[in-house]
Amino acid sequence: MTRAARPGAAATRPGFVWALPAAVFFLMFALTPLLLVVVLSFTSWDGIGEPRFNGLDNWTALLHDPVMIQSVWTTLLLTALGVVTQTPVSILLGVWAAGHQRNRAVLSAVYFVPLLLSATAVSVVWRAVLDPNFGVPAQLTWLFGDGNLLGSKGGAIGVLTFVGVWQFTPLHALIYQGGARAIPQVLYQAAAVDGAGRVRQFLHVTLPQLRNTIITSVILMVVGGLTTFDTVLILTQGGPGTDTTVTAYYMYQKAFKGFDFGVGSAIALVLVVVATLISLAVVRLSGYDRMRGTAEGL
Amino acid sequence: MRRRPNVLAGFGSLVWLVLVGLPLYVLLIATFRTRSDYSTGGPLKPPARWTLQNYLTDLSNGFGQDFLNTLTVTAGVVAIVLLVVPPLAYAIVRARGRATGWVFRLFLLGLAIPAQAVIVPMFYVISQTGLYDHLIGVILPTAAFCLPVCTLVLTGAMRDIGPELYEAMAMDGASPARVFRQLVLPLSRGGLSSITVFAALQAWNGFLFPLILTQSDSTKVITLGLYDFQTEHGVDVPGLLSAVVLSMLPVLIVYLFARRALVQGLTGVGGK
Amino acid sequence: MRSKAAAITAVTALVLGTSAACGSGDSSSGAGDGTIHVLVYGDAANKVEKQLVDTFNKTSKVKAVLDTIPGADYQQKLQTVINTPRAPDVFFNWGGGSIQPFVKAGLLLPLDDFIAKDPGLKDNFLPSVFNSAVVDGKPYGVPMRGTQPVLLFHNKQVLADAGLTPPKTWDDLVAATRTLKARGVTPIALGGGDQWPTLMWLEYLYDRIAGPGLFQRALGGDREAWASEDSRRALTTLKQLVDAGAFGSNYDSVKFTDGGSPALVAKGKAAFELMGSWYYSTQQDANPDFAKSGLGYTGFPALNGGKGDPADVVGNTNNFYSVLKRTKHPEAAAAFLELMYSDEFVKAQLAIGNLPTTTSTVNFLDLSASPGYSKDQYELVKAAPSFQLSWDQAYPPSAMTPMHTAVQQFFDGRLDTDGFIKAMQALPTS
Repeated sequence: MTRAARPGAAATRPGFVWALPAAVFFLMFALTPLLLVVVLSFTSWDGIGEPRFNGLDNWTALLHDPVMIQSVWTTLLLTALGVVTQTPVSILLGVWAAGHQRNRAVLSAVYFVPLLLSATAVSVVWRAVLDPNFGVPAQLTWLFGDGNLLGSKGGAIGVLTFVGVWQFTPLHALIYQGGARAIPQVLYQAAAVDGAGRVRQFLHVTLPQLRNTIITSVILMVVGGLTTFDTVLILTQGGPGTDTTVTAYYMYQKAFKGFDFGVGSAIALVLVVVATLISLAVVRLSGYDRMRGTAEGL
Repeated sequence: MRRRPNVLAGFGSLVWLVLVGLPLYVLLIATFRTRSDYSTGGPLKPPARWTLQNYLTDLSNGFGQDFLNTLTVTAGVVAIVLLVVPPLAYAIVRARGRATGWVFRLFLLGLAIPAQAVIVPMFYVISQTGLYDHLIGVILPTAAFCLPVCTLVLTGAMRDIGPELYEAMAMDGASPARVFRQLVLPLSRGGLSSITVFAALQAWNGFLFPLILTQSDSTKVITLGLYDFQTEHGVDVPGLLSAVVLSMLPVLIVYLFARRALVQGLTGVGGK
Repeated sequence: MRSKAAAITAVTALVLGTSAACGSGDSSSGAGDGTIHVLVYGDAANKVEKQLVDTFNKTSKVKAVLDTIPGADYQQKLQTVINTPRAPDVFFNWGGGSIQPFVKAGLLLPLDDFIAKDPGLKDNFLPSVFNSAVVDGKPYGVPMRGTQPVLLFHNKQVLADAGLTPPKTWDDLVAATRTLKARGVTPIALGGGDQWPTLMWLEYLYDRIAGPGLFQRALGGDREAWASEDSRRALTTLKQLVDAGAFGSNYDSVKFTDGGSPALVAKGKAAFELMGSWYYSTQQDANPDFAKSGLGYTGFPALNGGKGDPADVVGNTNNFYSVLKRTKHPEAAAAFLELMYSDEFVKAQLAIGNLPTTTSTVNFLDLSASPGYSKDQYELVKAAPSFQLSWDQAYPPSAMTPMHTAVQQFFDGRLDTDGFIKAMQALPTS
């Protein structure tokens, strides 16, 4: 693809003006508050007096705060687990749902219902299901033992990961369903002619063709994983101890439970920076931002 | 193209059905039980005696006003998103300048900003502009935080419009506005409906912004109503869950009708 | 004022980039000259607050407006608005540490002047309750709901089946735990997932063993109090109970707030639960038959050789109304506060199951939905030499999370006595 436009074509290209309303709006209501967060991270402020500049105090405190450091690792762990568990399930589900069989259409209508539930509702329902005395664990003691799922680090992280799969797979499966439907049938026919079976078709046609879809979906998962909050708030409250205190929840605790908005803002920034770096890395590695269209992407 | 049935996939899909179905079953069944039945029988047993009382109680607790407010917020958010995102996506896909590239990166960056991170300054921005405790004060930030994903989705959809179509219109000497109206908008209908659904879901289920940015009964939205319910009635799980079901019904209806469009729209997400 | 049109104008201005010129103006502060805003925690008790605001408005020229904020995030919301023109004139709080930051920031009006004009604003309330809204020697709050002492509840049937009577001493309780455990019943239900129910055990053991003074010293900044002999003894005593399996093994996955632990007791799967007095109405709603005939309660057992008075109680002393300094109508606020010891207030609170802490309450106890229960509680609170406000309310808000975490880790055995003492010493005090 050459960058030199054909004569006349330039006139039909939209100018920067087209991007302006959205950009200004976003600047106003997302980036301005973010800028204020940066300022606040260098202050000591309990939300009622005037913010007082305290230099790097918040940042040095964070560096030496074992809970903060633990929370970053927990967040990365949960994010990684989320990507690793949600991706295969949603690819399989999405590709399966892309088939045009009638039963698949009906079933997938049910499958995608979790998409509609708010995180609060999801967490409340799962708490009821996993209750050690009255829920599923009480019926299946050979599997769950005393049902103390949220009483150990492994158990609590497992539950959060599992609920994440339940909650987010539908969205990603939908994305993959769209991606899978867009794969030209000729590719499969050609593969079939070469004698490729179902599994090989999946590995050699479907997966490579879904490359871009996978990138988008993974970015969304990473960002979603890094900012996990509601489910932690309702399911584990960061416990047992601080085992599931993810960074977003720790920020909430510091800022809105402890009213230390300075430290809270610093944590928020760490979160934003980490999330940005990871998504930029994915975008850069995949060349996603430079790709302008399917044709141009080839 | 008829092939033998895929046993493995069939089995997998059944397992998934159980996993998805079980909590949904608990959710539904609990709403038809009395509170004491739920607390003695546990969440899994079907009702000893079916009752609609939970729903009636919810409805008499002033869900109507909350409902209208949520509807207003949702409509507002969707309107803003539909107003600003399509031109932006069009510019990102077609404009030549470096500036638009930066705007796109800016929005990608926006993906990574959690709403909780900015809620404190947000309160000040909103109260400084005199929008505190007005629905518009909820609509604006909610819409702003929908923009990154919506932009990503719609950009993906618009990338699928072949360059030859643009060139054809350029030959006719069409202005960008005309290209936008006659080519881009019609051909990205799928993407438009997915961002509509996405924005509507975000607005409908939004909790944090309404919590911090409103305070009166007259501006209360459904999610806050649910929250109220939880605190007012303590541990009334059936009542709470029936409120969840009620709040979800409209979305469910829209979803059932818009599902096809949603799937089509998401086709564009991966640039494929 | 504050119309939708104004809002839309503001947005337009914003979008045009002239937002700097368009401040909030004074449209926000208390709209007009005739209102005071009363900000309250939103829940079922609001109907009494509404009723009293109506009563107030019947006679007062300055009208009161009741604003409610739903539930658990009340404190968060309050903190956000309190130093802005959006701040209320009068607001609900928990006394103690919950208002301390506001007092330090000089936002609250000491009630001395009000009390000088109407001594009833102090004298008509039980002193142990009134005192928990005294900060640095000055009163900042008037009790405005019911008191909620923590009691030891039990399932009568389960105890009877095991041949037990409600424990009077700690040794009785320990013995009962053993018997119950042998019978396959979880001796004590605990909603460890909520974290604060666990704290109640420590609050009582510290009181019974060390007396109320130790915690007051610690709260006052004496970190050595936590490392004292008594403190260690309280921790060891409690740890023995935990290690003996008195709470079962899965309490971290159980919550009180979703009905988990109350159901254990109601169904006879557990025998005891230590909880605030609201437990009675929780059971009444969820398990009416059990609440009527199967639910028993006692004060926390006495502990042989302990320094604390067995009549001491811990819990939520009451909720309070405090007044902001910036209010334009202090007289109206005072008049509003005076309603908090009126007969109408007491009757209305009793009718919804709250136990008001005015000295006159005793005259109306028959009006309560459960007179016996209300009477017992009132006597308990009135007779208590010390009524310790819950630790997490007594400390400044920033201490709450680390405190809850330490308590949970201590119960789980991940902090030993020394570790717990260190964690408590690290808490920010006033």
